[in-house]
Amino acid sequence: MRPKYIIGVGIILVFIAFAGLKLKQSFTPYVSLQEAKRTGGVVQVKGTRIPGSEKYDYQKKVFIFEMQDTSGEVFKVVYHGVKPSNFEQAMEVVAIGAYKNGVFEANQLLIKCPSKYQAEESKGVQS
Amino acid sequence: MRRDWWKWFLGIWMTLMILGAFLYTPVAKGLGETTRVLYFHVPAAWVATLSFLISAVYSIRYLQKQQIQYDVWAASSAQIGFIFTILATVTGSIWAKEIWHSYWNWDPRETSIFVLLLIYAAYFALRSAIEDTNQKARLAAVYSILAFVTVPFLVFVIPRIYDSLHPDPLINPEVKIKMDPRMLRVFLGSLFGFTLLFYWMLRIKTDIEFLKLKLTKRM
Repeated sequence: MRPKYIIGVGIILVFIAFAGLKLKQSFTPYVSLQEAKRTGGVVQVKGTRIPGSEKYDYQKKVFIFEMQDTSGEVFKVVYHGVKPSNFEQAMEVVAIGAYKNGVFEANQLLIKCPSKYQAEESKGVQS
Repeated sequence: MRRDWWKWFLGIWMTLMILGAFLYTPVAKGLGETTRVLYFHVPAAWVATLSFLISAVYSIRYLQKQQIQYDVWAASSAQIGFIFTILATVTGSIWAKEIWHSYWNWDPRETSIFVLLLIYAAYFALRSAIEDTNQKARLAAVYSILAFVTVPFLVFVIPRIYDSLHPDPLINPEVKIKMDPRMLRVFLGSLFGFTLLFYWMLRIKTDIEFLKLKLTKRM
């Protein structure tokens, strides 16, 4: 009975190690701005918005704002579309697009909302 | 009838939870009316995790005792778990469209639940590929235990390691549930209701399987 258990535990450990090593990168689509600059292709950059930096260019139909990625780098995002309705409440923003000519040209914005589950009427200070 | 009192209780309980979710609880800041998905999405994910655990436990018991009823429990639990995993995925995806503005973005949470679906889909593929009942039960039991090894990683570890759009897990490092008391009441009530519902579904499923076994033996 003993060798059986040892083999069983062995297989489980190998399985965990494999999952840990091989899947590490595959589990997240988000990269830093540095990575976006390096590849130049379409990537997803996650970070926080800088409040007060939002501007809307009605002629070019673009929404411009500044954000800071997870490594602390601040950059300008030019989003070709309408500002998402819950943008002001965003704890974090994901900009999907490519870094071109000093700005991040985004085709899609994803919004992370606060996970506080507090009632709307209570005026708590948002972090 | 007397023994089934809890089924009536569950019916009333779930009705109250649904009414509570839509009429009693306030909407959360930043989430609007979509807050109400919370009371169904999280309990579905919870039941999925629980059912895979129960499947693994009965698989261990099968390997110890080699009695077919443990295999029936393990397989039935995994089947119901799979349904609840799909429910959690679909409700999550709809919610993500409203709040994140994307149905599917391969967010760590989305990727991990997708991997979980694949792992348990393979469990059913394995079961359907083997004719001999005892061999099927033995191999499926081993697979179910192996599959469950990944569950804590996929459900609890990955969302905590990787930066995700998904809100922080409710059980967080500060051990504080940041939730409005009215919301928390319905949320915990719904968790309880879903758990009881899962138990009922599991009983029905295993009863059917045992009847099937009896019929095939008689023929």
